[in-house]
Amino acid sequence: MIRFENVSKAYKGAEGDALHDISLEILKGEFVFLVGASGSGKTTFLKLLLREEVADGGSVYVAGRDIGQLSHWRVPQLRRNLGCIFQDFRLLPSRTVAENVAFALEVIGRPRSVIKEQVGQVLELVGLGQKHHRMPDELSGGEQQRVAIARAFVNRPLVLLADEPTGNLDPATSQGIMKLLDRINRTGTTVVMATHDVGIVDAMRRRVIELDHGKLIRDQARGVYGYDNSSTSRGIPAVSVASVLDEDLGPATGRVAAVRARRGIR
Amino acid sequence: MALSLEYFAKETASNLWRNRVMGLAAVLTVAVSLSLVGTSLLLRQAVNRQVSQFGANTSLAIFVNPSATTQQQADIRSTISQTPQITHCTFLNHEQSYEQAKRVLASAPAAVSVLTPATTPTVFGGQLSNPADATTLMATFQGVPGVYMATSPVQSIHVLEQVTNVLQVVLIVIALLLLVSSLVLILNAIRMAIFARRREVSVMKLVGATNWFIRVPFMLEGLVQGLLGSAVAVFVVLLANLGVGYLVHRYHVSVLSSTVLPAHDVLMTELIVVLVGAVVGVAGSTVAVRRFLDV
Ligand SMILES: Nc1ncnc2c1ncn2[C@@H]1O[C@H](COP(=O)(O)OP(=O)(O)OP(=O)(O)O)[C@@H](O)[C@H]1O
Ligand SMILES: [Mg+2]
Repeated sequence: MIRFENVSKAYKGAEGDALHDISLEILKGEFVFLVGASGSGKTTFLKLLLREEVADGGSVYVAGRDIGQLSHWRVPQLRRNLGCIFQDFRLLPSRTVAENVAFALEVIGRPRSVIKEQVGQVLELVGLGQKHHRMPDELSGGEQQRVAIARAFVNRPLVLLADEPTGNLDPATSQGIMKLLDRINRTGTTVVMATHDVGIVDAMRRRVIELDHGKLIRDQARGVYGYDNSSTSRGIPAVSVASVLDEDLGPATGRVAAVRARRGIR
Repeated sequence: MALSLEYFAKETASNLWRNRVMGLAAVLTVAVSLSLVGTSLLLRQAVNRQVSQFGANTSLAIFVNPSATTQQQADIRSTISQTPQITHCTFLNHEQSYEQAKRVLASAPAAVSVLTPATTPTVFGGQLSNPADATTLMATFQGVPGVYMATSPVQSIHVLEQVTNVLQVVLIVIALLLLVSSLVLILNAIRMAIFARRREVSVMKLVGATNWFIRVPFMLEGLVQGLLGSAVAVFVVLLANLGVGYLVHRYHVSVLSSTVLPAHDVLMTELIVVLVGAVVGVAGSTVAVRRFLDV
């Protein structure tokens, strides 16, 4: 679904590479955490996928297409296949919940009947069926992020990109968002999520890709936030998050030692 | 597609309303500027009509002083016949001249009432082979004894044309300056609309709206502003034309009669006004969209 081949990216005026010689592949239906210190290149990684930035070296493939080679007018088509959510939700404050979600379909020219049906469905999915007429400022942060997820998912994208989606939320609300993303992932949607949230990463035991100063330093199936298991203890209430998620994710996600399966890098 | 049209209409209308103060400034400037363009075009056409109406008339009228002697009259007549630039000559005696004066001055009965056949000067009417000679010949005959006055419409037409030329250049220069300002005002109005919509625009880009889809409402906003301005100007031009027509009718200002233009000419002028308004609106918004809408 996503393939990076020796991708490097340096911003103008910035010293050093924001991303340096990254090669990896993410398969359809995978759930991937992107971790690393602040400034390690996580957002840059997502921006390359969205074609908000273009790699200086190497190629980025999405669904088999080298998106660096995409002509300007084909970029919208790429973005229709990618849903995207952010730490700050980015809702339109003057539109209701339903209008915010419908907007995403309206501006890509979907017919009204389709919009009505899909918006209703996706709002049920995120648990906001009853609040479709509310304004964003009448919602809690968690509910706003649900609206953002509904907007990102309403067009059934192949990939959902999330840049610190729980960054502004308390742990309990974050759990709810993670359950929702997990549900979306189970429909076959690939999810790539950049995060600093130790508890979530450790509890979910999904693939973890770690960046450090733009370099890929770890790629681990069913990984944790840090190498050291004890790192979970410094996270916010990792245990409580884990316990809630455990019931949802089944017995397989006990606190087992991380499997450090380094995946093929170069 | 139907939904898109509805979306564009809604977006454009809401942008226009949100931005109404800046928009009004732009619309009014377009209106003033295009009113000037329109009236100056009307003026030019009116003068052209006047010229073509009188231009064919290359006559020279020599009024004889009523107190002139018969000898002086004969001298005038022979001078005329010896002047090769005058091709054809007619003579109106007192009676005929009085009749002509009554006709020409029909709209000013007071002036006619002071005339009698005896006090009306007799007239030699000549045709000129070349209208350019009018000024020289007028001066020559002015000096001949017994001549009261020598006149030719050719000269006044010439003056009229020159005055119109200057006036038109002035009007067009002012109109162009105003058009440039209206372009800048529209550009600025659209820039502010884009700024007010930056959240929507960033979401649209994110969910994969095409560049054209994002641009169209802003372009339409500029077009509508240009067209609103030209609508006002169309009205002003129409009023100007009707006003002249009313003056001519009401006060019998026959000299202005040819400035009342046929409907066809007015229609052409109005079309030009609308077209220029549309072009200014689209040009202003295109520049704004290219510079400030980063898609
Ligand atoms: N537009 C930009 N211009 C110049 N440098 C940039 C730009 N965006 C990011 N950078 C630099 O590139 C590097 C990677 O930034 P990036 O935003 O990808 O980090 P991040 O991992 O998302 O950080 P955080 O966890 O704080 O969000 C940083 O050193 C940053 O300063
Ligand atoms: Mg970031």
